Amino acid sequence: MRRKIEITHTTFVGTAVFGSLFIVIALSLFVLWTSRQTVVATDQAVSAVSSFYLEAIADRRSREITNLIDDNFVQMGEALEFIKDERIESQDDLRETIGRLESLLSLNRFALVDADDTVYARYTTYSGGSRYAFLSQDPMDSRVISTVSEYGSSRQLCLAIPTPGLTVMGKPFKACFLQLDIKDIVDLLAFNDKGRTYFALYSRSGENLSGTDLGPCLSSRSFFDATRHVLPEAVWKENYNNFANGLEGSITFESDGAEETLCYAPIEGTDWEMAVLIRGSVIEDQIRDISEKNLLHSRILVVFTLASVVLLAVVLLLQARVLAQKKLEEEKKASEAFQLMARTDSLTGVGNKHAYTESEEAVNERIRSGKLREVGIVVGDVNGLKYVNDTQGHAAGDKLITDASSMLGEYFAQGTVFRIGGDEFVVLVEGEGVEALDEVASEFNRKVEANIGDDDVVVSIGYAVLEPKDGELRDVFERADRMMYARKTELKSRGAHTRE
Amino acid sequence: MNLGQQHKMVRSIRTKHLVAVVLLALLILASSPFKAGDAHALSQDMARTAEATPTEPADTIQSAVDFDHDLDAYVPKKNRYNFYFTYKTVHAWWDAVALGMEDAQRQYLEKGVTITYEYVAPEAASAKDQKRRLLAAAQGNYDVIGVDVADEAAISPVLDELVDSGAKVMTFSSSDAAAGCKRIAYVGNTHNYEDGVQLTEALCKKLGYKGKVAILVGSAGAPCHEDRAQGAKDTISKYGNMEIVATEYDMDSIDLAHDLTVEILKKNPDLDGIICCNMSNPVGAARAITEKKSDAVIVGMDHDREALRYLKDGVIYCLGVQDCYSIGFDTLQVAVKIADGNMPGELFPAKTNEVTTVIFQPDAAKMLEMLYGSAL
Repeated sequence: MRRKIEITHTTFVGTAVFGSLFIVIALSLFVLWTSRQTVVATDQAVSAVSSFYLEAIADRRSREITNLIDDNFVQMGEALEFIKDERIESQDDLRETIGRLESLLSLNRFALVDADDTVYARYTTYSGGSRYAFLSQDPMDSRVISTVSEYGSSRQLCLAIPTPGLTVMGKPFKACFLQLDIKDIVDLLAFNDKGRTYFALYSRSGENLSGTDLGPCLSSRSFFDATRHVLPEAVWKENYNNFANGLEGSITFESDGAEETLCYAPIEGTDWEMAVLIRGSVIEDQIRDISEKNLLHSRILVVFTLASVVLLAVVLLLQARVLAQKKLEEEKKASEAFQLMARTDSLTGVGNKHAYTESEEAVNERIRSGKLREVGIVVGDVNGLKYVNDTQGHAAGDKLITDASSMLGEYFAQGTVFRIGGDEFVVLVEGEGVEALDEVASEFNRKVEANIGDDDVVVSIGYAVLEPKDGELRDVFERADRMMYARKTELKSRGAHTRE
Repeated sequence: MNLGQQHKMVRSIRTKHLVAVVLLALLILASSPFKAGDAHALSQDMARTAEATPTEPADTIQSAVDFDHDLDAYVPKKNRYNFYFTYKTVHAWWDAVALGMEDAQRQYLEKGVTITYEYVAPEAASAKDQKRRLLAAAQGNYDVIGVDVADEAAISPVLDELVDSGAKVMTFSSSDAAAGCKRIAYVGNTHNYEDGVQLTEALCKKLGYKGKVAILVGSAGAPCHEDRAQGAKDTISKYGNMEIVATEYDMDSIDLAHDLTVEILKKNPDLDGIICCNMSNPVGAARAITEKKSDAVIVGMDHDREALRYLKDGVIYCLGVQDCYSIGFDTLQVAVKIADGNMPGELFPAKTNEVTTVIFQPDAAKMLEMLYGSAL
């Protein structure tokens, strides 16, 4: 036999609360589990990712330098074309032209070289044979990319192009070149890198050209010297050969308990290798940071969700309560309206026989308990109702009744009017209205008497008040009723219509 | 060397090496005639030599070459200058001097003073070529003409002639003109003879004051090379068990230095030492003794990278390193003052001395690192 579950307010609230809590806890656990799984999985992937990541960086930086070199060659070519078209007759003219070209084309230390290896720069003219080994190439038939180590540890990347046929100031010139300070290149790369990784430029012989510090283990030493003690001999030799032959490669080694990964890539057109190093812990830290941020976000999400669910539940409960209250009130109002309707005469809007009976019982109770000593009753009967119904129709009869009701209500305003029969009314009067009953009744009767002549509404009334001998209201009613009949007879004699 | 450095040096000597200074001063006074120059400059020379005494190789690498220069407080009278400098021969040593000049030029430019200059030399040292260049420069529009004298006998009269014709002339870097020359000032090494003495003393001590030695001089007639060679000869002559078996001129060519050393070793297989008086000598000599597997001890001059590598490897025993950068920097500063019509005195001395530091094997890697950015 199936057990029928009864849904109550408590079960509803309980279901909402426990359901919300279950959702929140499940969501929290899921978020935590996902975060931890992410960290674990990422940790495992760090080593594999490092190489790919660094290779991409090394390649990108290599290309950046290659692009820089290409751009400078293009600029230098434009400068050369400009010089060919210029009328340069003196060394001052040449210096001024070079100065203008340096400014216009953003050339770094641009210079022309004559057949005697004399270098003509913006401010100086100097013998360059011993300073720039690449000038010894004779003939210089294509563009030259050369690394020049100057006294004082300054290293320059010299880009030169031959200038066959160029004659300035009557002298043949063999080449032009510009110098890029490797420190400037390093600064550019460092700026682009935003300090995320270590990197250095090496010559094929392993010399650190950039002077940059490649982490705590390798520092700025020779690549070969620095890696010799951290790599197995065979691995070191393999990388030595890679480096010397301008190939790319990567190494991983331990340093201070942390794994470091280094990738190197040749820079096209130069005898340089770009090396990029990252400590495994850096990636781990970064990923951990990301995970922790995600976890924090998840926690915030959980708390927010919990708060939202709780808030929602509270709002829903409040709304449910308000709705229930509202419904209750509506039902109450409906019940009251129904009760009112049951106690009200539909034609006149005053209390009906049922209402009078309830009131009579209540009054009797109070009389019996001694709480009510002043109460009076006015019994009224509408004269000529049958006559009006018969002669003018029921609508006129209904109007006569409503007019009579209104008239009673108007005069006996301190009492309560009931219609207890077709043309019979009772007015129940308490308190001060009892004392004025005689006077009001007299006024009423005068009006009625006037109405006879006007062919207006005529109501015969009789009235009585509670007397000590009376046990209940019925006693008072009967005296008033007798008086009403006497009045009816009197009014008939005055010409008022009666039932007979 | 600027005044601040000189004062610092003096304080250092007084506190740390007073005894050594006195002893060495006595030694030098007793063993060699003074060359032209003021007493102040000489005292500085001795001080640096004392610091780098071969028996106690001091850690003077940081002060051997000073790359950190600022212009002094002198305010140039013009905002444009044009100079002409010529030196003995195209060589890396003068390229180092050039870098100091370029640094000064940049600093003047930052102050709104534009300096243009020529800094040129022949492929091979030649007094005749230098004379031609100087006479041509005299016809140009130069504020100051500077020269590293290739041959003091041949060039000094030319300088007098230029001064007489109204040119402002100075000498710089390694070699001054002859005593009595009318040139306005000299900036550079004022103690070439003493450098020769110091290197030779180091060699003699290493050899136990006995053995056969050869001298590689450099360019014939070049005052700096000849002075060092004379210092070496005078020192050897003090020791009865030492003998000079050869004196050769490599004309500032490494290849020639190598060939000459090979030839000397062929004739003197038991050669004990080689005294090298210029920058190319030690490189050529080291190549040769490595090639011939000789045990000859080499002492020499300057900062050639290959020479420093040989020093690091123990092939060369010691090197006298001149502060070329400071020479270049100070040369340009003095040239500006001379161009403005100033004469030696308060603003600059008649001879601005620059230091030479003798370094040994333990210092080589550090010097390579400092000069070339790598100990390789």
